[in-house]
Amino acid sequence: MVDKIIIDGLSFGLPLFVMAIGGIYSERSGITNLALEGLQGAGAFVGALVAFFMMQSLGANSQIPYYAAMLFAMLGGMLYAMLHGLLCVKFKADQVISGVVINILAMALTEFLTKVVNRVAFGKPSNKFELGVSKRWTVPGLSEIPVIGAFFKDIYPFEVIIIVVAVVAWYVLYRTKFGLHLRACGDNPHAVDAAGIDVAKIRFIAVMVSGALSGLAGMSFAYSISANYSSGIYVGYGYLSIAALIFGNWKIVPTLAACMLFGFANSAGHQLVQAAGLPSSYSDLIMILPYVLTMLLLVFFSKHNDAPKALGEIYDKGKR
Amino acid sequence: MKKRKVNPLSRVFVKLLGNEKYQVITIPVFAILLSLVVGAAVIAALGKDPVSAYLNLLQGCGIWPKQKYAGGKSMLTDFFSFMNYWTPMIFASLAVAVALKAGLFNIGVSGQMLAAGFVSTILVGYSSLAAPIAKPLVIVVAIIVGGLVGAFIGWLKYKFNINEVVSSIMINYIIQYVVAFLINTKYVDPVSRQSTNVSDASRLTLMSTEIGGFKYDIPLGIVLAIIVAFVIKFVFDKTTFGYEIKTVGLNRKAAQYAGINVGRNMVTAMLISGALSGLAGATYYLGYFCSIQPKVLSSTGFDAIAVSLLGNSNPLGILLSSFLISIMGKGKTYMSSSAGLDAEIASVITGLILLFSACGAFIQYLVKRSKENIAEIEKANKAEVDK
Repeated sequence: MVDKIIIDGLSFGLPLFVMAIGGIYSERSGITNLALEGLQGAGAFVGALVAFFMMQSLGANSQIPYYAAMLFAMLGGMLYAMLHGLLCVKFKADQVISGVVINILAMALTEFLTKVVNRVAFGKPSNKFELGVSKRWTVPGLSEIPVIGAFFKDIYPFEVIIIVVAVVAWYVLYRTKFGLHLRACGDNPHAVDAAGIDVAKIRFIAVMVSGALSGLAGMSFAYSISANYSSGIYVGYGYLSIAALIFGNWKIVPTLAACMLFGFANSAGHQLVQAAGLPSSYSDLIMILPYVLTMLLLVFFSKHNDAPKALGEIYDKGKR
Repeated sequence: MKKRKVNPLSRVFVKLLGNEKYQVITIPVFAILLSLVVGAAVIAALGKDPVSAYLNLLQGCGIWPKQKYAGGKSMLTDFFSFMNYWTPMIFASLAVAVALKAGLFNIGVSGQMLAAGFVSTILVGYSSLAAPIAKPLVIVVAIIVGGLVGAFIGWLKYKFNINEVVSSIMINYIIQYVVAFLINTKYVDPVSRQSTNVSDASRLTLMSTEIGGFKYDIPLGIVLAIIVAFVIKFVFDKTTFGYEIKTVGLNRKAAQYAGINVGRNMVTAMLISGALSGLAGATYYLGYFCSIQPKVLSSTGFDAIAVSLLGNSNPLGILLSSFLISIMGKGKTYMSSSAGLDAEIASVITGLILLFSACGAFIQYLVKRSKENIAEIEKANKAEVDK
């Protein structure tokens, strides 16, 4: 049972985490990003579309569509995020409005396009792309260790990709010059500008990164929880990861802790209901566990919760 | 020197949008028209007639007459059912706007709607109270429940510095699951898998009321919604209380320095915002609908954020913007059946309207730049002539 909690907790928590990292990039650069929900959906749409077409020609057993989906979901998310970047950086739109609008548009567009593609290319009325559940890996040897072994058992390939991406993202944000500039953009863009660095460019890149990482997360959800791509992907994971990153005080490592809390509390709840032999409606009650826990923790940890200083502010060179 | 010419297009552009006094209205209208044009292009690309598709949207809402009506129905029937759909959207958008005035972002409108709708349903909707008592009671209960949830979020922010976005999202989930649990264990209708229907006496919409041979679904909430919009406008424009909340929203530190009780104002603003969400919930779950689907948050609360911002967070602007967005939402069913278009295309156009409207500041900037450009060219030309 503990094994199952760890396995399911990771497969839910890690995609949330990678999306939250994207959010951190964007928000630390000074761009409020409520668009994560839409970005993950739009990215996953592109990935699923590519995978679905590849599956027609390569057959259901090939692993190529899976990895292609991950790659294209990142590209798709990045491309769609440019719209948010364009609105916030170039058009100086209100960032909150832009984020919400991007979400609404993503839902409408992907739902519409999924239907059109299914009808035009496959001649059937369907509003989803069947993808199937991804293959899982078990590391021999390590997975035999009691309890901890579960971290190496039944892992989805996307979890490995996410961990690699997360480590790189952490390194770039905290150990490189670019990361330093990015963080400075969120705290004092005027100083960054005075140092001769292009604030707009850095912010735009940060938003694109958030799109790519959200796309990866969305694709992971599509391959694990739902086993297909449909509008069912918009159930609020994006908002949940925003909550995680604010809870994590806009820092990567504490955000990981928040995401794992969501992941493990979620899977523990499910296991609890099953173990106690309760009717399935009780799982709804158990499902509030992660959120109640978060609220309680927030009571203790919110004293020093500070957003990046210039978050949400439109950068205007002339303004001091 | 060669005489430079002004681009006639930019001259028209400036002529139409240049007057800064009217830009509050002209720019959003321009953005909306632009998105309708883009939407028309999309519809045309799908091989359908955009004009008739747009007319279908209006016809579905009873704003434009249909060719023929089924027995007992008229254009007014459609318009009443449109208003029924429109009402919760007004309340929800006002809820977002009030919180926004205090600098708070209420992303939990949907959750507050659900909490208020659910409690009113079980307390009043399932009772045998007569209509004159039940209907006002639904409204009172919804206001109290929504207000309490909202105030709780504000209090958490004030007392523990908990970011209202996070707490709203958490509370959304908690409400959603608890309500689903209670419905599934106690109040479920075994056929529809939703909560059992509320009594007609408690419902805020008078369904299938016959007047002069036609049947109407008369939404009582719409009257309240319009009154509330004007009251909020008055409170924010003319009272000390509204002024204080706006000051807190603009600059928390300055407000505190000026002796305004910031904490109390934040909690009050969230209380009002929550109460408005409660009204949205009552008119949604006990008006437009009469039951609750478990484990689903309505999208109204999220759309309301965009609608509110499209209306510039001004109550009267919100009446207009919610009217427009509701036409898209309500009319799409008729458009889809009549023109053979996917109903989703209406949502795409809604998205485009919101997208272009979000660029209002940029359009304003463009207008200003071309205005300066024209002035510069004309000045140069004049100097040339004078020489």
